[in-house]
Formats: sequence, C-alpha cells, structure tokens
Amino acid sequence: MMRFRDYVALAFRSLRRSRLRSGLTISALLVGATGVTIMLTFVTSVKNAVVSQFVQTGQVRQIVVAENPNLSYDPSGFVGGGPGPGPGGGSAPASKMTPALEAEIAAIPHVSAVSAMFSNNGPGAGIEYISLGTKRLQAQFSAYQPNGAIEPPLVAGRDLGSSDTSDVILVSQDYADALGFKNAYTSLVGQTLELHTRSGYTGVGATLPQVLPPQNPQCGPNQRGPVDCGPTGSLPAIVLHARVVGVVSKEFRGQTTFIPLSWMVGISDAAQPKSVQYAQQSNFGRGQCGPGQPCQPGRSCTPNQPCRQPNQPASQCQPGPQCGQQGPGTVTGGWTRDSTDKFITDGGGFQSMIVDADNIANVAPIASSIDHLGVNAATGLAALAEQKNKANALGAVLGALGLIALGIAALGVTNTMVMSVLERTREIGVMRALGARRSTIRRLFTFEAAALGFFGGLFGVIIGYVFVLVAKPIIGRAVKSGKLTGLNFSVPIWLIVLVIAGTTAIGFVSGLLPARRAAKLDPVEALRYE
Amino acid sequence: MTATAVVRLDDVTKTYQLGDESFNALNAVSLAIAPGAFVAIMGPSGSGKSTLANIIGGLDRPTRGNVVVDGENLAKMNDAALSRFRNEKIGFVFQAFNLKGDSTALENVMLPLVFARIRPAERKARAAECLERVGLSERQSRLPNQLSGGERQRVAIARALANDPAMIIADEPTGNLDSARGDEIVEVLEALNEEGVTVMVITHDQRVGNHAHQIIEVRDGTLHRMRKR
Repeated sequence: MMRFRDYVALAFRSLRRSRLRSGLTISALLVGATGVTIMLTFVTSVKNAVVSQFVQTGQVRQIVVAENPNLSYDPSGFVGGGPGPGPGGGSAPASKMTPALEAEIAAIPHVSAVSAMFSNNGPGAGIEYISLGTKRLQAQFSAYQPNGAIEPPLVAGRDLGSSDTSDVILVSQDYADALGFKNAYTSLVGQTLELHTRSGYTGVGATLPQVLPPQNPQCGPNQRGPVDCGPTGSLPAIVLHARVVGVVSKEFRGQTTFIPLSWMVGISDAAQPKSVQYAQQSNFGRGQCGPGQPCQPGRSCTPNQPCRQPNQPASQCQPGPQCGQQGPGTVTGGWTRDSTDKFITDGGGFQSMIVDADNIANVAPIASSIDHLGVNAATGLAALAEQKNKANALGAVLGALGLIALGIAALGVTNTMVMSVLERTREIGVMRALGARRSTIRRLFTFEAAALGFFGGLFGVIIGYVFVLVAKPIIGRAVKSGKLTGLNFSVPIWLIVLVIAGTTAIGFVSGLLPARRAAKLDPVEALRYE
Repeated sequence: MTATAVVRLDDVTKTYQLGDESFNALNAVSLAIAPGAFVAIMGPSGSGKSTLANIIGGLDRPTRGNVVVDGENLAKMNDAALSRFRNEKIGFVFQAFNLKGDSTALENVMLPLVFARIRPAERKARAAECLERVGLSERQSRLPNQLSGGERQRVAIARALANDPAMIIADEPTGNLDSARGDEIVEVLEALNEEGVTVMVITHDQRVGNHAHQIIEVRDGTLHRMRKR
C-alpha cells in the first residue's frame, strides 16, 4: 500500500515524461471544460439576472390585480329592457376595480400593502401638456398611493413617499430622455415641471354651481368638447408646478409620469378658479332659451340670440321653449368636486392594483382570496418559475453540448491510458517485481487518468474565466440595450468546483479500464515485454 | 542444511499450456539453498532457469509442489501476499537494468521502499546507504541515462538491496555489459554475498558461474547437475 503523496509523485512523473501525449489529452478535456464553463456561466448569469429582477422589484411578493376579461352578455345592462327596437343603451358593466375593492383586499390577512394604479392621459386629468423650459411634452399620468406596495425601480432620485401628496412627480426614462436628460438623470431630479391645464378647465369631476346654466353636452364634461361653451370657456389656462423627485427605469413602465393618487384626484383643485366672470349666457342647448321668453317660429327671441334648436333653421323654431339671457356677472366659489371613489369609478376604475404579501409563502393563498372577489390576481411566481425553466432548458441544451465534447475527451483519456499501459508494460512488471500489488498498479493508472481530467478541468476553467472577463464588457453592452439590465456575467465559484470535479471524475472513470488492464498484467509476461 | 535453507523447493512442477500441447518448464524439481549462499543457475535458453528464478522470487507460481522461501510458503499466497513477499524478501536485478528513466538513481533505489510505505526521510537515508554499498554515493542524483551501463546495473543492485531482502535474484545481470563491466557487477554481488546476502544469479556466463559457491544446471526442466565450487 502506497502513500497518497507517492501516488501523486509517481503519476505526475509519468505524465511529465510523456508531455506531448498528456498535453494533447488535457487539451481535449480543456475544450470541453471551457465550453461548459462559458455556457453554464452564461445560463447561470441570465437566470440570476431574471431572478434578481423579480426580487429587486419585489415582484415575487407581489400580486397584480386586474379586471377579469368579461365578454359575457349582461341583460341588466339595458336600461329599457324588454324586446323590440329602441334605445338600448346597454352600458358597459361598471368596473370592479374600485376603491371599495381595494379596501376589501387590504383586509385580507397577510396583505402588507395595497396600491392601486390609476392611469389617465393628460386631457383626462385636465392637463394639456407638460413643459420644462422650451420643451413641451404630452401629458401622461399614472397615479398610485405611495404606500410601499408599488416601488418603481429608479435610475435617479427617490420614490414617492407617503408624505408626498401633491406637487411632486416621477418621470419615466422616456420622459427624461425627451426632456434632454438622457444619461444625466440625476440632474433632472429637483427640477420643476410645469403642468399646463386646458383653458376653461374646471377640474376633474367638478360640478359647476347651479347658478350657472347647465352645461352643453357638446362641451363634454369639464369643457373638453369642441364647442366653446359659455362662461368657463373663457377661463385662463392654469400652470401647476411639479417637482421631479425621481426618474423611473423604463423596465418598469415607459412613457408615463407618476404622481400621488391623491394629487391626481385633486389636481383640479388648484385649477379651480375662485370666481368666474362671464359676459353673458349663450343659449346652450336643446332649444331651451333663458327664462321668461317665448320662442316664436321664424323669429328671434332676442335681438342677439336666435331661439332655435341647435342646427335648426330659425323657421323651424318651435314655440314653447323659453329664451333668455343672463349676465354678464360673476360667480364666486361654490365649486364642488366628486369624492375620490366616484372620480375613480367614473374614470373606469383602477387599471391595476399591486398587492404586497408579507411573505412569499402567502402569495398564493392571497391571490386565491382575491380571485374569489371577482377580479383577476396574477402573481410573479408562475412567471418566475417559467423564466427559470427557460433558463434551465437553455442550460440543459448548452450543457449537453459541453458534455458531448467532454465525452469525446473521455475517450481520448482512455486511449491515452491504454497507450500508456502498453508503453509501460515492462515498467509495470518491474514495479510488480519490486512489490507493487495489483491494486497499487490499478490506483496508479487511475490516478494518472484522474490527474489528466483534473488539469483539463483546471485549465478549461481558467480559459473560460479569461474568456468571460474579455467577453464581459461586450456582452454587457449587448445586454444593456436589451431587457436584462441586471446581468452579472461572471463565473460562479460552484461552477469552477463543478467543472474541475466533473472532469476529474471523467478522467477517473476513463482510466478505470486501462488501469484494470495494467493491474491484470502477469508480472513475468510484463517483464519479458519488449 | 534443509532445515535452515532460505529456499526450499519440493517437487515443483511448472506446466505451460501452449495450444493443445502442454510442456513442463520445470519437472518435479527439488532444491535447497542455504542462507548466505552464492548460487549460479545455468543452462541453455528455454531450459527453465528463468522459470525457476521467477518461482523462487514469487513472480510466478508453481503448477504443483511447494516453494518455501525464508519460511513462507509461496504456493499458498494470493497476489497481495506475494507482492508483499517480493517487496520484503526478494531483490530483483534484471539484465536490462529496468530503471525508471524519469527518476534519479536515488529515487530508483527508493521505489521498493515506496511500495513498503516507508516514510520519505527514512527512505532517502536507506536508499543512500544502499547506493554507498554499491559504490555510487556520488551519483545518486543522476538520471539513468547519465550513468554508464555498469553504473546502472549497480543502481539496480542497490534497489534490490533497499528492503534488506532475504535474497537477491539476478537474471543475467551481466548480459548487457561488456566483460570488464560484467566483472565489476559480479564483484559487487560477491562483495554483498560476503556481507551475508544470499545471491542467486541466472547466467549463461561461465565466468559468473565461476564465482558461485554452487552451480545449478537446468536442462529441460530438470536440475541436471549440481556442483560446488
């Protein structure tokens, strides 16, 4: 029985003696090991990047709640009901994504936070455009409660905090780029954007005081229609100021800005004039004139105001409606605004809600509870698992290629060792004569084969490592333009250990057969071998 | 003499099977060698003298008969036991020296000690001592190809001595050497024999035989003639 270090010494001496053959055999293993190292590094890095993206954005603990897709026919949606033609007016079923639902979800056990995302384009929020200096951009708003459930990944500045209720804004990278701050996002933070309201805008959901005439439907709600409609149409545009606190990475959501939900609802407040002055009242609509003036056919009610149905010739003017005129005058105060709930419900409900679970383990049960509330709950778990599976499948394919290379190299090891046994037959005989057992000879050759494998793996990992170092900036650049910004392309320690251990094992196994042959040699025959 | 013999063969037959024919390389051979003897085994090629040496050295096993060397019955030993036996009791010297070309003289001499699991420091000391005994202490860090044929064979003898064996078996030790170098080797063996080492030399060379105390001639598998000098 030999000591281990003697096996090492003898094996290495033999390998050194046939340097060329050992070198070539090691090279074959090295190619496979390099391939496996590079490919598995790539796959692992991609997988880690995917996972870390999920974890960083907290997506694994999050449940995204959205309206169930609903195409089913709902007869209750018809006002008139019953058969026959007529004004149907089947209205779309009201959104379930209401503040009430939000409260219900928040009450589910293990829900740590709920934040609802309400999106609106500029006109919907009453904002016509956003400007900074001379740059004018269209206004797109997403609003959420900054309670921690939604944490947009940032490239600069900070997230909205719970103390932010108004006058602050997060912009997406797209906005920042369009404002001329591409790759200088930090310098955009702290700047103040101007939000320009439409002229005549009276605020989201605001109802004009009764003293004013009813609004023309053609004006649309909030005076957004095509017709210049009376007194509020002359209201001046108002400029609101929003301080940029952060720039949101485009991987979260592009082409929008983010403001606190409370401000979104109340963004009209600042736009609401303290008083409205009007010159006179137009006859707004539906043939209804002001009070006290009968409308005569073919006649004007007043010298200034023809009394007629909109778009009707004066000759068809029907008697009955009263024409009238009001103003000029001033209305002061008295603006009312809908409740937040009504504002959101009327606005089509929340687009989505983000629910934070206190623990990953509770994500699935919470999602199921939310499903029971009649809305759709999507978790990141399935998506994460899918991404992981994709990466694993890619890894399996690439790994298999590497294993084929290693398999061929294994045959090379066997061949080398068979040659070595043949060449050293007499030496084996001498060692046997000097007292080496069969097992000693077998171990010696197996050890040599394993050493070939070890060095193949070692050099393969080194070359693979260098390759990764060289390729890192190139791949980094390629990936930056893609989606995986979190890609950390480096050889993990476990892979280094795995590859070296793997090739050593391959060498070991490949050496078993030749080593057995060496051990079985008859010493007398071996000594006689020329 | 038989009681104290270092080697005792009783009725040893070694049969080789060559196709359908079997032939006896050794045919019911009996032999005793006393400790401290210098024995020459002579005979023509194919007479069975190498088989005899291999059986005595534990490299080969007899088909029939008993072989007792230094009190151990080789006929009953398995491979591991025979390996240990060769390692501890026999020192082999070959015609072609059979040194490891990648190892120095000292390392070659240390090899049997490696198989014997002797600690490195002790190995080195013992190997150096053995090289000194064959007059090569200055050459211990040379590689075999840096040594002359005679020196190589002396290294091989030192290697045979390393484990302090019961006997040295030298198979044509002078076969690859000119007569002057051959004589040197025989002198070394003779000197060792005088120090008490049992030596068995297989040889064609009559001059080697002349140095032996005992000559065993093998012919057709039988010990034809034994004579003492």
